[in-house]
Amino acid sequence: MASDTRLRRLSASKAFGILAAIFVLIFSAVVALLAFDHYQVRATAERLQEETVPEIIRYQRLARNLDQLNHEGERVFSSASPEERQQAVFLIMLVASHPSILEHPGAAAIAHDAENFLGETNRLSRSDPATLKARQPEWLRLSRRIHLLVDDISVQGANLATVDLDHMVDTMRTAGLKLLGALLLVGSFVLLLFMLLRNYLIRPLQRIDHALSSLDVEAAAPEFPDTRLGEILAVEDATVRLHKAMVSNEAARRELELLANRDGLTGLLNRRHFMLNAATEIARAQRYGRPVAVALGDLDYFKRLNDTYGHGAGDVVLRTFAKMLSTSARHSDLVCRYGGEEFAFLFPESTVEQAHVLVERFRQNLAETDIRLADGLLVRITLSIGLADASHGLLETALQHADHALYEAKRLGRNRVIVAAAAE
Amino acid sequence: MAIVAYDPAQVSAQGDRLPVGTQEADLMGVADELARETCRRIKARCHFSYVPFAKILPGIESGRFDLGFGNVLRTPNREKRVAFSDPIWRSSSRLVGAPATALAFAERLGKPVRIDTLRDARVAATAGSRQQDYLVGVAEERRLTVLAAATPAETIDMLRDNRADFALLPIRAGYSQISREDPARFEFVGPAVADHGLGDSTHIVLHKQDQRLRLAVNRAIAEIRADGTFQRIMQRHFPISLD
Repeated sequence: MASDTRLRRLSASKAFGILAAIFVLIFSAVVALLAFDHYQVRATAERLQEETVPEIIRYQRLARNLDQLNHEGERVFSSASPEERQQAVFLIMLVASHPSILEHPGAAAIAHDAENFLGETNRLSRSDPATLKARQPEWLRLSRRIHLLVDDISVQGANLATVDLDHMVDTMRTAGLKLLGALLLVGSFVLLLFMLLRNYLIRPLQRIDHALSSLDVEAAAPEFPDTRLGEILAVEDATVRLHKAMVSNEAARRELELLANRDGLTGLLNRRHFMLNAATEIARAQRYGRPVAVALGDLDYFKRLNDTYGHGAGDVVLRTFAKMLSTSARHSDLVCRYGGEEFAFLFPESTVEQAHVLVERFRQNLAETDIRLADGLLVRITLSIGLADASHGLLETALQHADHALYEAKRLGRNRVIVAAAAE
Repeated sequence: MAIVAYDPAQVSAQGDRLPVGTQEADLMGVADELARETCRRIKARCHFSYVPFAKILPGIESGRFDLGFGNVLRTPNREKRVAFSDPIWRSSSRLVGAPATALAFAERLGKPVRIDTLRDARVAATAGSRQQDYLVGVAEERRLTVLAAATPAETIDMLRDNRADFALLPIRAGYSQISREDPARFEFVGPAVADHGLGDSTHIVLHKQDQRLRLAVNRAIAEIRADGTFQRIMQRHFPISLD
């Protein structure tokens, strides 16, 4: 199931690669459309320059030539002499023969009509000048047709440019919209990219950063919301695994510490650890002028118990006594197995008198306790204790005094507490 | 400028005599003025030769002349021989003849005389011209007798001497010739034609390999047109300006 979920995840590079590819594809399409518009505008501009403008000029020249035809026609009727009329007719023939007129069917037809009409008028006027007046109305009608054609041709010529220019304007307007679209597309993509980066990359990284910063063996394992990117998920998993490893390491460390500081049989502090802690405590008490006392205790006739009932019985007695101490000593008191059947004590914030009450209680409790051995036999054992003040001087000196007091307790018959004399 | 390399340019103009100021050389006058103006624009010192039309293209081909002015129509065959400048003006062709002759032929043919229906006639044209080529091409079919003349003026001489019934000339050349004759002596016969290679734009001709000169000449033509020089030259020789 987990592997299925993992399969559904996207790698960041793949996800952003797909996104970039989609963007490039869409943007390329827009650019291609713009390039097409650009091509169209350029093609239209080139057509305008290379074809339309020459065509417009051709129309203008045709219109001008037709105007010239009209002008010479007027001259046929207005000239005073036959020579001038003949000259005008020649020019009309010249105009009517021009290729620009010949290649335009409408112009060619009207020029042909004008040439025939004016040529005939000229011929008839040589014998009868009155013909001119008689034929003038007909000429006016013909002339009006020429004028109208000139206007038509002029407008047609101008319209050629209008068509191209309209096409260019339309294309440019479309290109403008496409440009706006491209701008919106880029803006949207940047926004989308920012949102995706924030949601799928920046925020998960911030969460991971926070989790790593506050990673603690005492705290619960960090939890992350569901994420889509494989790389982020991998880092989150690694963070959780790191927390587990830290917790596991801490447990191992504590185990090792326990093994290093405690006595394996009784679970009490061992001598090395007691000495370290006791020295620190005494230094603290002396620095602040507080009372502190130390004591050494030794189980009476322990060797004889071992010899009589076996070492297993001795171990049971030691463990029972240790258990009794751990329940009756104060939390702040240091109690250790000093060696063999010997125990050391440190009583912070306690005068010798206050400590005496405590150790007397230990002694009395032990003396009144029946200890059941493994085979069900009940035994009793007593404790001798030497107590000394440690408020002044070194720990070793105080322990030495307690040891002397212990020796004195043994010498006086055991099962008693002896307080060392105050140091002079 | 590099254009100086063409100095001295050899420019040919149609005709066999100095045209400027002479009574019978209006068209040559236009060509002569255009040639001189072109030389000024391309910054070349030119030597002018006035030769019959038929000698212009061979002269360009042989390298005797650098530029040829002579109302030369652009045709596929000529394009194989020489290069053409941008257009100078546009031309068509038309028959020229005496009115009485035109009437007689119309009665004989039963319809008005036209270039494409003319038959059994003697027709003069300038040697080496497109008009001559066209007439030669249809001569057998229409039983035409084609007469070659060195110049347009000579075709009119042939009409006057009754050696020819009609002359087929470029329209401006025809106009120049008719307008110098007595009124009603000669006239244009039938409509003008611009197809069959008998009309369209006319050009300056030059050697095919000389692209730099062609570009320089084209620039000169554009300038001459743009600053009104072309129109002024035309108006000096023709009462109207056609384009």
